[in-house]
Amino acid sequence: MGYVAVKGGTHAIEESIRRLKYERTKKKSILHVKNIEAGMRGLIDQTMSESSLFSEKLASIAIKQAEGNPEEAVFLLRAYRSTLPRKHYSNKVVSEDMRVERRISASFKDIPGGQILGATTDYTHRLLDFNLATETDEDLLSWVSDFEKEETTDSDDTDLTKLTKVIDYLRNEGLVQECERNDQEPDDVTRKSLEFPSSRSERLQILSRGQTGAVTSLAYAVIRGYGSLHPTVGELRVGDLPIYINNPIDPTDDDDSYFIGEIKVTEAEMLMPVTVEKEHGKKEIEFEIGYGVCYGQNETKAISMGILDNCLENKNPDYPSHNEEFVLFHIDSVESTGFISHLKMPHYVTFQSKLDSVRKTKKKHSELNQEKQEVRV
Amino acid sequence: MKRKTRTRILINGSSNLSEQLATQITDRYEVQMIEEPNNGLVMVKMEENAKKSLFYLGEVFVTECKVQINGQLGIGILKGDKPELSYYLAVIDAAYQAELDEVKGWIPLLLAEEENIAVERKEFDNKVLQTKVNFENMDVE
Repeated sequence: MGYVAVKGGTHAIEESIRRLKYERTKKKSILHVKNIEAGMRGLIDQTMSESSLFSEKLASIAIKQAEGNPEEAVFLLRAYRSTLPRKHYSNKVVSEDMRVERRISASFKDIPGGQILGATTDYTHRLLDFNLATETDEDLLSWVSDFEKEETTDSDDTDLTKLTKVIDYLRNEGLVQECERNDQEPDDVTRKSLEFPSSRSERLQILSRGQTGAVTSLAYAVIRGYGSLHPTVGELRVGDLPIYINNPIDPTDDDDSYFIGEIKVTEAEMLMPVTVEKEHGKKEIEFEIGYGVCYGQNETKAISMGILDNCLENKNPDYPSHNEEFVLFHIDSVESTGFISHLKMPHYVTFQSKLDSVRKTKKKHSELNQEKQEVRV
Repeated sequence: MKRKTRTRILINGSSNLSEQLATQITDRYEVQMIEEPNNGLVMVKMEENAKKSLFYLGEVFVTECKVQINGQLGIGILKGDKPELSYYLAVIDAAYQAELDEVKGWIPLLLAEEENIAVERKEFDNKVLQTKVNFENMDVE
């Protein structure tokens, strides 16, 4: 059978795209971008994190265009990002500078500065609130106004911009190994394709922009036994990090740098107990740290990243979760959904080629069988 | 006032202040546009706390503008799509670089705005601190 090249489908494609717009608009009600920005914090944070681009406004437009489908929204943002010039690199950001809105530890009850719950769904009953179906602007404005006017009763002088890190507390006790500061410039996976073995900076960058579901599933698999870790949340914090860039003309003076704004992130420092051999073969338990951080408030992802970070620091051929190629090549939203999705695209020629081979093989077999039968007769 | 503090006050504070300061300059001096407000990215370099190494967290969408006053360059750059504010910031930056007389009168305004920001933030933080857990030991029999 010969192959025939075909073309066409232009009209069908155009109509398909119009139909897609119809699906978004057929209920004849506009979903304003400002409404997405106001009420879809979780989805915006996830979209910004997976697209590795911080902009609530752009994420909201992408969510609107994608009709709330995060994989499509991330794809749109990554595509748009690739059209923009990278103008600057920020000065080094450290999470000690975070203006904290939430900070807890699952390892220690009494931490300097205290356990600050902030805004969390952790202690809600998860009962569907049917009142939201009929919530009005007046209801909302009245609640917000009352909340903002409320006088705070106790005076607590905790400075939320200077909270001590729980890990430092352990380092001071000698329970976590001290390490030298390493100011080597990071690698950038958006500029150079990943090769193995990967660098730590590449691993952290990929994990931080990984798809929330994929990162979470792999971390869950680790805890269920497809990995060799027993993690506890040492510290989880959510808050705003100030971003500065150097004066491009004279980058030597830190006081001469430009403040460009603050970005909200979630950071998780996971503690993993390990047995280490000390002098004279004496064995002691110490803690290793797994580090997780991502844009917005996305705690499950940051914790999962912390778990996977530690897995990839401790390679183990017994578990795929400790294999950097297995983890890093499969958690990116655009790469994984893009590849799976491309299976829908026409594969007529490749499939016909496979079909040809099968038919030829079958024909050969049947001819051989026929010859054998003739010989027997 | 150093640029680091000044830009932090202007961006965290009310945009009215930036407009007010920039207008003082644009009313009296010729401001040459070097680069119209335009969008771009800033890559965030972060230090992690496990090995104290650096990595790239991701990019931030920014607006940047460049102007010149008396031959001195001013840059205005901030997170988000804010062309007007980036222009005001660039004008203010150029005014500082050119050491214009008007700048001397800005210190009290900037310090007052810094105070406003501090008050607002303290109110916000007080609300956050309402969520701090107060553990109480339970009776043990």
